[in-house]
Amino acid sequence: MRALVTGANGFLGRHVVSALLERGVEVRAMVRPAAHLETLGWPSSVDVFRADLRTSRDLARAFEGVDVLIHLAAVVSGAEEAQFAGTVAGTERLLDAMAASTCQRLVLCSSFSVYNYSATRRTLNEDSPLHDVRDLYTRDGYTIAKWWQERVTRRYAEMHGWDLTVLRPGFIWGRDHGYLSALGQQLRRHHLVIGPRTRIPMTHVENCADVFALAAVDPRACGQTLNVVDGPGERIWRYLSDHMRGSGQWGWRLPIPYWLAIWSVRLAAVTVFRRATKVPSILVPRRLESRLKPLRFENNRLRETLGWTPRLGYRECLARTYGPARPVAHR
Amino acid sequence: MRTALIGAGAIARQHLACLQTLPDVELAAICDLSPATAEAAAERFGIGAWFTDHRAMLEEIRPDVVHVTTPPTSHFRLAMDAFDAGAHVLVEKPATTTYEELETLARRAQQAGRHLVEDYNYVFNRAPQEILRRIQCGEFGAVTHVEVLICLDILGPSGFADPNATHPALTLAGGAIADFLPHLASLAYAFVGPCQRAQTVWGKRKPSPLPFDEFRALVDGERGTASLGFSSSSQPDAFWLRVYGERMQATANLFETRLTFDGPRNVPRPLRSFFSGLEEGRTVRRAAVATLLRKFKGPGAYEGLWELLARTYRALREGADLPVAANDVIEVNRMVEAFKPTEQQPA
Repeated sequence: MRALVTGANGFLGRHVVSALLERGVEVRAMVRPAAHLETLGWPSSVDVFRADLRTSRDLARAFEGVDVLIHLAAVVSGAEEAQFAGTVAGTERLLDAMAASTCQRLVLCSSFSVYNYSATRRTLNEDSPLHDVRDLYTRDGYTIAKWWQERVTRRYAEMHGWDLTVLRPGFIWGRDHGYLSALGQQLRRHHLVIGPRTRIPMTHVENCADVFALAAVDPRACGQTLNVVDGPGERIWRYLSDHMRGSGQWGWRLPIPYWLAIWSVRLAAVTVFRRATKVPSILVPRRLESRLKPLRFENNRLRETLGWTPRLGYRECLARTYGPARPVAHR
Repeated sequence: MRTALIGAGAIARQHLACLQTLPDVELAAICDLSPATAEAAAERFGIGAWFTDHRAMLEEIRPDVVHVTTPPTSHFRLAMDAFDAGAHVLVEKPATTTYEELETLARRAQQAGRHLVEDYNYVFNRAPQEILRRIQCGEFGAVTHVEVLICLDILGPSGFADPNATHPALTLAGGAIADFLPHLASLAYAFVGPCQRAQTVWGKRKPSPLPFDEFRALVDGERGTASLGFSSSSQPDAFWLRVYGERMQATANLFETRLTFDGPRNVPRPLRSFFSGLEEGRTVRRAAVATLLRKFKGPGAYEGLWELLARTYRALREGADLPVAANDVIEVNRMVEAFKPTEQQPA
């Protein structure tokens, strides 16, 4: 089996490449033209395909001999329009090329951000409501782009009869990506910890990559939409403590109950910011909810569908994130 | 008035947000090569229809006005098609990639009895408009000289200097800086009139995919002189406009709301600079607060675009003179043409 991986040198992508190689899958790694790959330690069997989804004209060649596309590429920072152009229009170009190929299988990396946290009660799972178009455009650029990326991909899959698996990871963490926006608001080296006992929907990058590799090879994943979290998640206070200890940071942590934060922000929204259209995310009630609303998170469907359990426990994940770097080993 | 827009990228959002607020404007259709981009813009701004083929849109919608907000290399072709469909055209700067194309476009507009408006948004920001008002009422005195300097870091990896995807502006003569020349030229034209001659210096200070990252020009205008510049290296980001009149001088930063005047005052001469300094300090502090507050609401530094669109649509509705006339577009582009480098890469 040969897999085409977009965003292959990204934070998640490089681990997905490793996980696929471990499972004996041949990998064609799509990376941007100017990407530096020297430190990744990929074996020569990895077929590197350089292209930019925003502009490259010849994407069809990337699909030659490919059995499954694992689409991870997305623009996750910058202006909203740049994120949309890179993530959504880029996906259209990629899937147009796939439509001209014989590849029929696709695994998409979506996101928890597509869920409407405001309309979700108690437990967030695959049946929770997604944003609808009436409130989508009040969200941040990342959410709009990921929501649209999933929408576009589903349309293409339906139109062409592809086998689609949509994986929606929670907060992906790992080496050099230990700080999560779910931790509240950082003020220089100090932290406002909003809802310190709230659990974070988190997945360590190596566990998450393992799910992508499994979904690519396991036919039971076809047609499924699965949330990817390692478990119920650590509480914000505990994870922040571990993060600060692991990364050697020092700072004050001020705990603020979630109810106090959300009601303060709601009050500000109807008074101080009543007519404001450009307000920092942390001060927009719906955006605050989507980062910090206390909910329960499940991976039951992932466990039941694919029989998956995380390879690495929380302690081991901490060690891999903050401990000495491990040499990359590929089969 | 039925309006359609071609190109649903970053600047289109400012056009659409403004058009939503204008009376008697119906956002009839939007077109983009990316179906999702067009559809998302249609959903967000309540636009009646979306297309991926601009000719199909023009034929089906028959708009009164077409906004062209695509990358500059496609402006000419799209604007010509819009004129052929009987629409007025409001095109983002630079309107065309060459002066010859601009002349052809202007001729076509005249033949069709339609208007061609190029977006000179910064001319319509509050500060230049206030300076122009004082000039017109005689308070400022005749303008002798104007300085415009844009300090903007365009060498970051995600914009013009993206190492992975060549930015469309890099195909223009002068590269990315050519994208800013209409701003410089339109401001110079507003204060000192058409260009009679110009001297330019194009330079490159830092390694990047850009052919040039520094630009200076000295313009001999019909009513005064202008020194214009663009600097990628000078920080922090700013858009300085300084106008020198026979009675007053004005300084503005068009990325902010700062506008100060210095002129005659009714105090003993040795105290003039003291009271000027106090007043300038007060004005700058007030502007700092206003700049902070406008980050929460409204078009921010694009306030001039909103003003230009509002005036243009009002003029079209009432059959009055447009805020940017056909001759203005010709003269600004003639000045831009005089700035263009004769060689693509400095030694």
